Amino acid sequence: MKVRTTEYFIREAFSSLRHNGLMSIASVSTVALSLLILGMFLIMVLNLNHMASTLESQVQISVYLQDNLKDQEIREVGTRITKIPGVVQVTFVDKDQALARFKQRLGEQQGLLAVLGDTNPLPNAFEVKVDKPERVKPAAQAVAQLKGVENARFGQEIIEQLFTLTKMVRLIGLALIVFLALAALFIISNTIRITVFARRKEIGIMKYVGATDAFIRWPFLIEGMILGFSGAVIAVVLLIEAYTLLTGQIYQKLVFLPLIPKYPFLTYVSILLIVAGTVIGALGSTISLKRFMKV
Amino acid sequence: MIHMAGVSKIYSNGSVALSDISVAIDKGDFVFIVGPSGAGKSTFIKLLFREELPTSGELYVNGRNVAELEPSEVPYLRRGLGIVFQDFRLLPNKTVYENVAFAMEVIESPRREIQKRVHHVLDLVGLRHKARNYPGHLSGGEQQRVAIARAIVNNPTVVIADEPTGNLDPDTSWEIMKIFERINKAGTTMVMATHDKMVVDGMKRRVIAIEQGRIARDQEGGQYGYES
Ligand SMILES: Nc1ncnc2c1ncn2[C@@H]1O[C@H](COP(=O)(O)OP(=O)(O)O)[C@@H](O)[C@H]1O
Ligand SMILES: [Mg+2]
Repeated sequence: MKVRTTEYFIREAFSSLRHNGLMSIASVSTVALSLLILGMFLIMVLNLNHMASTLESQVQISVYLQDNLKDQEIREVGTRITKIPGVVQVTFVDKDQALARFKQRLGEQQGLLAVLGDTNPLPNAFEVKVDKPERVKPAAQAVAQLKGVENARFGQEIIEQLFTLTKMVRLIGLALIVFLALAALFIISNTIRITVFARRKEIGIMKYVGATDAFIRWPFLIEGMILGFSGAVIAVVLLIEAYTLLTGQIYQKLVFLPLIPKYPFLTYVSILLIVAGTVIGALGSTISLKRFMKV
Repeated sequence: MIHMAGVSKIYSNGSVALSDISVAIDKGDFVFIVGPSGAGKSTFIKLLFREELPTSGELYVNGRNVAELEPSEVPYLRRGLGIVFQDFRLLPNKTVYENVAFAMEVIESPRREIQKRVHHVLDLVGLRHKARNYPGHLSGGEQQRVAIARAIVNNPTVVIADEPTGNLDPDTSWEIMKIFERINKAGTTMVMATHDKMVVDGMKRRVIAIEQGRIARDQEGGQYGYES
């Protein structure tokens, strides 16, 4: 395509964007809103997935020991645990180590522990890792049977709940996204229809003098793409701001929550949204041209 | 150049606009299509630039089989034709120059050639001095001359016109005909639908009369032949 022709297309597209003022703003806003919600769900689903799999990969059984065991007895429990099928690693954590780690995880909030004074409520424990996630449950049950073991815990339930939640959010998100994408498509094709209508005389003349359909279509396609792209950019800016704010808050208050780090995660989400917006724009104008101009 | 054999056109509402039309128009011919209102003149013109498709029959224009033309080929058929309408169809927000240049821009002609050609055709219709005016500031005759300039700017082999003098007074009509005559002398085929008796009788050219969709008369140097 010739440079001058491209210039012509872009000039025409911008001139009708200006001409359509209010409709253009409405289209951009709808696209922005749709993509904002799409982006929010995307970020939520991906983060929930990330959390679930982070937790899953960390699944280990915490084996809490009874309080009055002798060192010899503790060692025996350790040896028996090693013999349980699937167990690959057994680490002893004495009660002082456990307290120190807990303090570290609390970070800025470790002042909370002052109420404890000099006492240490944490028991001696083993941390047991198994080779496969599905072995966690039987192994934990076996460990719990051992003499000297108070109880054995693992995070399976939380993980299963997280996965269920992810599925639900994904489903709701999908329905909402489809609905909003259709709304965006509808309003963009309407905006373009107004442009097409305002220019029907021009389009008619173009056809009589032998302009190709592709040539006639381009300015409208560009107009639609600009609408979709602008909406996407607004959505992306808002999302990045919101995610920055949110991660900042969460890192401060909820130390244990494993969120996906901002970059490159947000870069991928942004690219996806901008491509989606532009495609919706192009599609919207194609629909209008096909239906109302037959070009 | 233009070849029709057994062409019929029945619109989707069942109205028969043309039936069994056979005609040949050679390069450089000047032909009037005449007939009473509703006879099928406009339909005849529309078939030539494939605004409408024939229901049956054979139709060739500039060597292209118009009846079986791919939609993607239509623009290239039209680039070989110049089309003039009764209502001028100029763009009100473009100047005279821009209106004519538009026809070249949209088929992606080089800029330098556009300037040269537009000035040339504006000279030919005697409107170079109005190049910067807007159509709204021109008389009807002047507007039609701009439309003619636009129709010929891409060097078509055939100019087709549907009632081009229908909105003009007799003197102005005659000026327009002189311009068409000049274009035809330069080798361009002219096909013009009209029910303007004065114009047809004055020009003494080939006349094809259509009545109720059929050819009633095809005569060199003919007369209009109806009371208009
Ligand atoms: N788009 C159309 N749909 C249905 N009927 C049409 C259409 N255009 C023209 N006709 C009919 O076809 C016949 C010929 O019309 P037309 O070619 O416009 O005649 P003319 O130009 O000689 O007045 C008329 O009966 C008219 O009503
Ligand atoms: Mg007519």
